[in-house]
Amino acid sequence: MKKSCTLAAVLLLTTGQPLFAHTPLFDCFDNGDSTLTCEGGFSDGASATGVGVRMLDAQGKVLEQGKLDAKGSITLKRPAGEFSVVFDAGAEHSLTVLGDDIS
Amino acid sequence: MKPIRLEVLPLLLGAVLGAAAAPALAHFLVVYTPQTAIQRATDLPFHLIFTHAFHGGPSMAMEKPQRFYYAKRSAPGEEIEQVDLSQYLEPIDWAGENGPVSAWKATVPRNVVRSLGDYQVVVEPTPYLEETEQLYIQQFAKVMVNVGGVPGNWSETLGLPAEIHALNKTYANWTGGIFRGVVLGNGVPMPYTQVEVEYLNHALDTDNNRFAAQGAITAPHPSLEAMVILTDANGQFSFALPRAGWWGFAALSVGPAKEYNGKPLSQDAILWVQATDLPESP
Repeated sequence: MKKSCTLAAVLLLTTGQPLFAHTPLFDCFDNGDSTLTCEGGFSDGASATGVGVRMLDAQGKVLEQGKLDAKGSITLKRPAGEFSVVFDAGAEHSLTVLGDDIS
Repeated sequence: MKPIRLEVLPLLLGAVLGAAAAPALAHFLVVYTPQTAIQRATDLPFHLIFTHAFHGGPSMAMEKPQRFYYAKRSAPGEEIEQVDLSQYLEPIDWAGENGPVSAWKATVPRNVVRSLGDYQVVVEPTPYLEETEQLYIQQFAKVMVNVGGVPGNWSETLGLPAEIHALNKTYANWTGGIFRGVVLGNGVPMPYTQVEVEYLNHALDTDNNRFAAQGAITAPHPSLEAMVILTDANGQFSFALPRAGWWGFAALSVGPAKEYNGKPLSQDAILWVQATDLPESP
């Protein structure tokens, strides 16, 4: 029992996350005015406020970046050409949406 | 067991007659959309049909609902927002046993339901007069749609006069899993109240506005068509969903209003739950 508690404490300290399933979820929509709105969240309902979002071009250069607001949302300018948007909530919690999939 | 006193008999008789004046079993306001667990935002089609769910009819004429909307909380800590969807309602003629009856459809555009999370879609219908019983029926019906897997306000009640409080996500149930809910009348749990459970047994042919003639299953006994279960002392019920598809739960006459246009009124609570088969790995 003592051993398992210690293990749990170590896991909490190393991950900073509760020990239940916590899948990141992310999607973007074209607003029809040369902007995109992206929204993120987690499968357990945890807030994604403050999670970093980066827009990258085809070469991986950062075009724009910011953090999700209190509604788990951010609005970015839609660039010309190929791009992607990354939801970066840390290791194993990163998701990418390709620009071609954003309509 | 104590013998029943004679002076109690008239009360019991009155209770039985009162129960007999309750709405006929098996009326269901079907609020149908093909899939409630949506991966990415898309236009959402709805069909609203007042019918008998297991038998796919007879269907009853349905006036334009008093309200058709969704309730959504955009993020934890944010207020629940109600978005009116009535502008998307279109009248349709739905095939009935004695000719078409009025029903409704709506295509809710993607940009209205594009955000991740839960949408509690609510229909508050105009009371329907059941001519044979001279009784009005008003079924407050809920169906939930989730976009993208982010949970939202699925477990929250909306303060409807008659409402079933979901204790499981209505869109995330494996076939065979147990669904639980609490029947609320004016927000108060209703102990030992009947809950009807019916399978939406006839597929909707939405191109031709009718139910499929052939049901998916054949019940060997009437008690397995419109099943009746009771809530417990806390107003809670549970039901194992034996087959993929749509299961309707109805709690009758639990709302506070008992009269409409000078006639008895039954305010019922309806909740639709979708069960999904375990998919094989590709």
